Amino acid sequence: MPAVEMVGVSKTYRAKGGRPFRALDDLHMTVGSGGVHGLLGPNGSGKTTSIRVLLGLVRPDPGPGQMRLLDRPVPAELRGVIEGVGALVETPLFSPGLSGRMNLRLLATAAGVPRARIEECLELVDLRERADDRFKGYSLGMKQRLGIAAALLKAPRLLVLDEPSNGLDPAGIRDVRELVRRLGHDGRTTVLVSSHLLAEVQQMCDSVTILARGRQVASGPVDQVLSAAGTGDVRVALPDPAAAAAVLAAAGYSVSPAPDGQVLVHGAPATGAITRVLAEHGHYVEELVRVTPDLESAFLAITGERA
Amino acid sequence: MSAATQHAAPAGPTGTRLKGSLFRAELLRFRSRRFIQVLLGLSVLGWLGAIGIGLVLFDHPTDADYAAAQREYDLAIVGEEEWREQCTADAEQSGQPVVDVCGPPLAVEDFLQVQPFDLASAAEAGAMGFAAAAAVLAFLVGATWIGAEWSTRSIVALLFWVPDRLAVMAAKIGVLALAAAGIGAVAQAAWLVMAWVLDSAAGSGRELPDGFWGELLAAQGRAVLLTVLVALIGFGLANLTRNTGAALGIAFVYFAILEGALGAFLGLAAQRWSLTVNTVALVVPGGTRIYDYSADYTVEPPSYLVTNLHGGLVVSAYVAVIVGVGVWLFARRDLH
Repeated sequence: MPAVEMVGVSKTYRAKGGRPFRALDDLHMTVGSGGVHGLLGPNGSGKTTSIRVLLGLVRPDPGPGQMRLLDRPVPAELRGVIEGVGALVETPLFSPGLSGRMNLRLLATAAGVPRARIEECLELVDLRERADDRFKGYSLGMKQRLGIAAALLKAPRLLVLDEPSNGLDPAGIRDVRELVRRLGHDGRTTVLVSSHLLAEVQQMCDSVTILARGRQVASGPVDQVLSAAGTGDVRVALPDPAAAAAVLAAAGYSVSPAPDGQVLVHGAPATGAITRVLAEHGHYVEELVRVTPDLESAFLAITGERA
Repeated sequence: MSAATQHAAPAGPTGTRLKGSLFRAELLRFRSRRFIQVLLGLSVLGWLGAIGIGLVLFDHPTDADYAAAQREYDLAIVGEEEWREQCTADAEQSGQPVVDVCGPPLAVEDFLQVQPFDLASAAEAGAMGFAAAAAVLAFLVGATWIGAEWSTRSIVALLFWVPDRLAVMAAKIGVLALAAAGIGAVAQAAWLVMAWVLDSAAGSGRELPDGFWGELLAAQGRAVLLTVLVALIGFGLANLTRNTGAALGIAFVYFAILEGALGAFLGLAAQRWSLTVNTVALVVPGGTRIYDYSADYTVEPPSYLVTNLHGGLVVSAYVAVIVGVGVWLFARRDLH
């Protein structure tokens, strides 16, 4: 059962006097249950809009598009499904004159969450000692942590975090990352994280959806997305790289020297054939590694963006 | 957030349906709002100040006060009698009641520098004054109640918990109406307490006329209704503009400029539907009579009586439109 499913969803913003802007363009996205799913894309690619549409803040364009959250159609059944969904979208929105604890208490009262859960969540984000301070006195990082605490209050089955590391210091980023990973692997929670920090997504997420101009351009387990966007290069370490390179070139491979006396084989579909060719000519491989791009390279290649 | 890493995944409510109370949450939010607390606190201070001023102004006149008043009366009555004879003759000639045209004759008490508090004559005016003060306070409270929500956008965050936008608005409106009714009732009770204090300290001792309490309590009841309606107007304007300051600006422009222009250019027909006239008509016993001084007339300009019921219905219609449009837009618009 997918935790999130969007099929053919479009959204056009029509600003007064401006040209219509198609934020979502026949978007298809599926997020499986459990694990941490990253939502990546350049600015204006539709990440936040897709989250807003899912949560009922923004109406999709009329049409055949369908959405499901926790296997129930939305927005038709959003009221019934919302208690299983925790969300932090963009900046945390709280009453500045009230304390962090009171802000959480207001939400907990509205949703029927027991008060003890407030303390648990404050503890989870390490805000208990400052919980009685007014929200407007919080640092950006503390505000973000309170937002995460609010999203966790309902002990949601689906946790949606839009740029959760915003404003956090390096230690805070690390803690959020660990918290997200732990929640995503607790056996009941699915975490959907939107982030522009590609390295963060790579470290935190099991699967990823990449958006560009309101459409999904890649999706799947992070490893698969990376390998699909990869060049197929293989780096081979062996005692005599120059001779090995000549053998491989004679066998039809495109090769070039790599640092540390290694050989780089370009566009190699299967690594077994390389080791066989080399062994037949008396070159025994010490190490053979498929060169996988990092997510940033893959992301730029897929979306066509340039750094 | 180092402690976060030492905790297990949330063990909160799962599987069972959560039973929350949006109304209770909004009531708690209302009670917690500091600006509203400040406004109410300042109102209490203003009330205490008014009692203090009343105690200074009202007193039992002494023989010396009466003697001084008699001297002033004797000086004034000479010219007054001459004018009154002429006024009476004119009134009788035109067939108008003399009291209506010339007013009551002068009395020594009119010249007293120190006067006792007369509950019978002051009760209605006091109730109206407190109604006006409560209405202004309620407008501010209503506007800031939703205006601050838009300013911080916490109303959007609430939709992650209760996605039913109409339910969210209904809860906020319900809490405001309840609070405004409380403000209106407390304001009228405050006036009764103030009147009792002044009457006890410096009352005239004059017997209250028949039906006094019935008429006063009815007016006070209508004043409570007015407080609720004005609070909702403040709420509606701030909800439409999504800004407390803009709501106050619109109210100022309307009352200071637009209504004056309506009265001057459109005459009686427009005045009958103006917010100010109907607001006054709602609370004043018997309603209020409006006159068209721009018409041609010899004795009395054409007039129209705006009754309590008319006033209540018209103000309610304003509320329905202002609040209704805002709620409709909130239910339909994209929220960012």
